Amino acid sequence: MKLRLQITKDQDIRFISHLEYARTIERAIRRAGLPVAYSEGFNPHMKFSLASALGVGVVSKAEFVEIELAEPTSPLDAANALNDALPRGIQVLAVDAVENSAAKLMSVAGGAEYEIFLPYDKDMSTAVEKFNAATELTYEKAAPKARNKVKLIDVKKFIPAIGLTAANGVVRLHFHCKITPSGSMKAVDLLNTLNQYYALELPINKADVRRLDLYRSDEDGHIWPMLDSIYKSTK
Amino acid sequence: MKKELGIDILNSIQKPARYTGGEFSSVIKENATVRMALAFPDIYEVGMSYLGFKILYHLVNKMDDVAAERVYAPWVDLEEKMRAEDIVLSTLETKQALCECDLVGFTLQYELSYTNILNMLDLGKVTVLAADRKEDEPFVVVGGPCVYNPEPLAEVFDFAIVGEGEEVLIEVLECYKNWKVAGKPGGRKGFLEKVVTIKGIYVPAFYDVSYNADGTVAEVTPNNALAPKTVEKRVVKDMNSIDFPTAPIVPFNEIVHDRIMLEVFRGCSRGCRFCHAGMVYRPVRERKPEVLKELARELVKNTGYNEISLVSLSTADYSCLGPVIEDMIAEFKKDRVSVSLPSLRIDSFDVELAKKVQEVRKSGLTFAPEAGSQKMRDVINKGVTEEDLMNAVGAAFESGWKKVKLYFMIGLPEETDEDILAIADLARKVQWKYKEVVGQGGGQVTVSASGFVPKPYTPFQWSGQTELEELRRKQFLLKDALKMKNVSFQYHDARTSIIEGVFARGDRRLGKVLYEAWSKGARFDGWIEHFSYDNWLEALASCGLSQEFYAQRERGENEVFPWEHLEPAISRKFLWNEYQKALAQTLTHDCRHGTCTGCGVCQQLGVEVVDWSEQKS
Ligand code: SF4
Repeated sequence: MKLRLQITKDQDIRFISHLEYARTIERAIRRAGLPVAYSEGFNPHMKFSLASALGVGVVSKAEFVEIELAEPTSPLDAANALNDALPRGIQVLAVDAVENSAAKLMSVAGGAEYEIFLPYDKDMSTAVEKFNAATELTYEKAAPKARNKVKLIDVKKFIPAIGLTAANGVVRLHFHCKITPSGSMKAVDLLNTLNQYYALELPINKADVRRLDLYRSDEDGHIWPMLDSIYKSTK
Repeated sequence: MKKELGIDILNSIQKPARYTGGEFSSVIKENATVRMALAFPDIYEVGMSYLGFKILYHLVNKMDDVAAERVYAPWVDLEEKMRAEDIVLSTLETKQALCECDLVGFTLQYELSYTNILNMLDLGKVTVLAADRKEDEPFVVVGGPCVYNPEPLAEVFDFAIVGEGEEVLIEVLECYKNWKVAGKPGGRKGFLEKVVTIKGIYVPAFYDVSYNADGTVAEVTPNNALAPKTVEKRVVKDMNSIDFPTAPIVPFNEIVHDRIMLEVFRGCSRGCRFCHAGMVYRPVRERKPEVLKELARELVKNTGYNEISLVSLSTADYSCLGPVIEDMIAEFKKDRVSVSLPSLRIDSFDVELAKKVQEVRKSGLTFAPEAGSQKMRDVINKGVTEEDLMNAVGAAFESGWKKVKLYFMIGLPEETDEDILAIADLARKVQWKYKEVVGQGGGQVTVSASGFVPKPYTPFQWSGQTELEELRRKQFLLKDALKMKNVSFQYHDARTSIIEGVFARGDRRLGKVLYEAWSKGARFDGWIEHFSYDNWLEALASCGLSQEFYAQRERGENEVFPWEHLEPAISRKFLWNEYQKALAQTLTHDCRHGTCTGCGVCQQLGVEVVDWSEQKS
C-alpha cells in the first residue's frame, strides 16, 4: 500500500530548499519507523516522492508526500508516528492510503492556490484589472543555466485571474495557478510579469509567498482535494 | 536591536537554511535563568559537524534553568547585509543576540579561525576586548584543542576551559547560575574569582607575562592569589560513565559530516611527533563495545541517518573494532544503515574489515604515510614501513578498489629534497602495485601534501618552521616529480601555513596583531579566497613583530614558552627527549598495549589507559 500525506512547510523553515525538505522527510520516515519499501539493487533508495517542488522561501499548507510501504499499516498510526518524527516546521494535516498501483500524486495535481503579501504602498488595482482582462501575456524568463537563452511563459494559461486587497501598505494577491502535464510556473514569476507589463516596481525580493492548497482538477475546471481524508495533528 | 533576517535578505544570500534553525532535536527553552551561546567560528556546515559541541549542547540542555544555543559565523554575503542594516548576530534557537547571552563560548579549532571570533563578537554587539567589556555583557569563554595555547586571544576571552568539557562546563554553569541568582556579587571580577577556583579554569587577566630583551617570555606569574600557578587540563576518567548525545540535531542542509558520529575512544598514544592531538588528548580511553552498540541503536532511531561513522583519532586502533563493526552491520542491515571509518592507518589496515565497511559504498581509500622516506617516518615516529603500505594498497586493489589517496606533510624537520622525491617514488610504486595485482595500469593515486606547522606541546615545539619560499620550492619539487599519468596532486597555499605557525606558538603580544588584521578586514582566513597574507604581514609589522620570530625560529632547550601555564600534563622532559630521538631517527613505541613510555599524563592526572581487549569488562 501507499500512504499519501498532506504536510506543511511552515514559516520558520521556509528557506530550506526542496532537496533539504525531501531529505528531512526521508529521515523522518526512518525515525518514525514506518515499514517503508526500498528499491532493489546496489544502492537501494527509499520509495517516497513529493507531489510538487516548492520554491525556496515559499510557505505551504499543502505539500504532499507519497510513501510506498513494504507491508500495510494503520494510516492513522503512521501519520501520528511521522508527525512526531518531523521537525517543528513540518506538520501532518491529512492522510490517505491507496493501492501501490495508483497513479503518482505528482501526476494528478492540477492546480495550486497561492497568496502573496508584499509591502507596496502604491495603487496597483488598474494593473490587476488589465492583467485579468488580458487574453495572453508572455513572460520571458532567463533560462537558469544557459546564457542568452530565455524561456517563454504563457502566464495567462496558468494564472487566469488575480484577486487584490490592500491594507496598511501591504498588498495581498490571491490566485490559482494551473499545473499541466508539461509543467507550471513559479508564483514569484507572476510578480515579474506584473513588473514587466505594468512597470509596477513590486519589491519581489520581499514577497511573502504562501501556497494555500494543491488540488486535482479536470478539463471543465472542477477541482477536488488531493486526499479524501483529514487528520488531527498532535503537534 | 534588529535581529530578524527579513525575507529580502534570506532571498539574496547563499544557503539561507544555515541561519534559520528549527532543525529536528534542536532545543528551545523559552525560560532559562542562564543562556549560553555555543559559538563556532566558522560556517554552519563546518560547525554542525563538530562532535564536541554536539556533546556539550546535549549536556547543558539537560540542566534545569540553563539553555545552550548555537551560533555560527555568518558567511561574508550575510555579514555585508547585517552590517548595512545593523542586524545583530543572534542564536538559532530563541534568537538571543550574543550580547544578551550570559556566556558566549567559542571553540578554538584552528588558528586561522581566530579573526572570526573577533568578528562574531562584534556582530553580536559584544565588546571585543575583555578589559573593556561592561558589567552586563556576557562572559566570553574559550575551549577546544587550541586552548593549550590561547595566548594570542588572551585579551579577548574572559576565561578558558582547559581539557575535556563534559564535567567542568556543568560546574562552571552551576557556579554562574548561583552567582547570577545571588545578584552578581562583586561584579565581573567577583565571578571570575569564583570560577577560577574550579579546576581547569584559566583567567588570563589573573596572570602577568614578562619578556626578555630578545622577545622571548621571561615568566608568567599569577597576579591574583586565587589563580593557580599552572592550569591542568580536565579529563574524563571513564568514557562509559559520561553521557553521549543520542539525539543530536539533524540539520536540514548537508553538512560536512552528515552522518552519525559515534566516538569510540578518546586519546591516541601512537606518539607521532608532529601530532598535537596525539599529545594533548592522552591517555587512550575506550568505550566498551556494549556501550557503543547501545548508543548506536539509540542514534539510529533518533536521527534517521543511514550511516554510522566510528570516530576517534585513529579508529582502526580500537581494540574491539572487528567484532563491533560486524555486530553493527548485522544489526542494522535491515534498516539499511552502513558503518564507516573516517580514515585508515596502514599498519592496522585490515582488508576484510575495509570490505565490510565499504559494503554499501565503494569510494576511494585514504592512507596517511605522512612522509615519503623511511628516514622521515622514523623522524616523526610514524611506525610504518613501505612494505606495510604496499601490502595494504595491494590488498585494497585486490578487493576491487581502484583509487587511493595518500596524505603527506612537507617541510618537516630534517627533511631533504631526497625525502620529498621519495613521496613521488611511493606514488609510483603504488601504481606499480596496481599493475602487479590487477594486471593492467590505471590505478588512481591522489597525493595530498600539507605544509608542516610545529605545534605547542609536541616534540617539535622547539623546531623552526620551514620558511615560505623554501616550502614553496618543495611544493614545486614534488609537483614536478608527480607529473605522472593517473596521479593528481593537492596542496595548500603555503602562506596560510606560515600564519597558522605564527599563532600556534604565539604569545599575548599577537593579540594586537589579531585585532589589527581583523580591523583591516581579515576573517575566514581558513578560506583561501578570503586570506590576505599581506594584510597579516602588515599587521605584524605595525605591532613591531615578525613571522620569523614566531614561526621560523629554532628555540633553545630551556626557553620558557608562552603556553606553559596551561597544562595538558605531558611532561616537558618527555617532549624534549622525543625531539632528540626524532633528530636521531629513533622510534618510541605505542603505550597503549605495551609499557608506559613516560609521558607523565597518567601519573599526573591520576588516570589510566583503558583498552577493553585487555580488561575484564
Ligand atoms: S603516562 Fe605512560 S601510559 Fe599514560 S599516556 Fe603517557 S606514555 Fe601512555
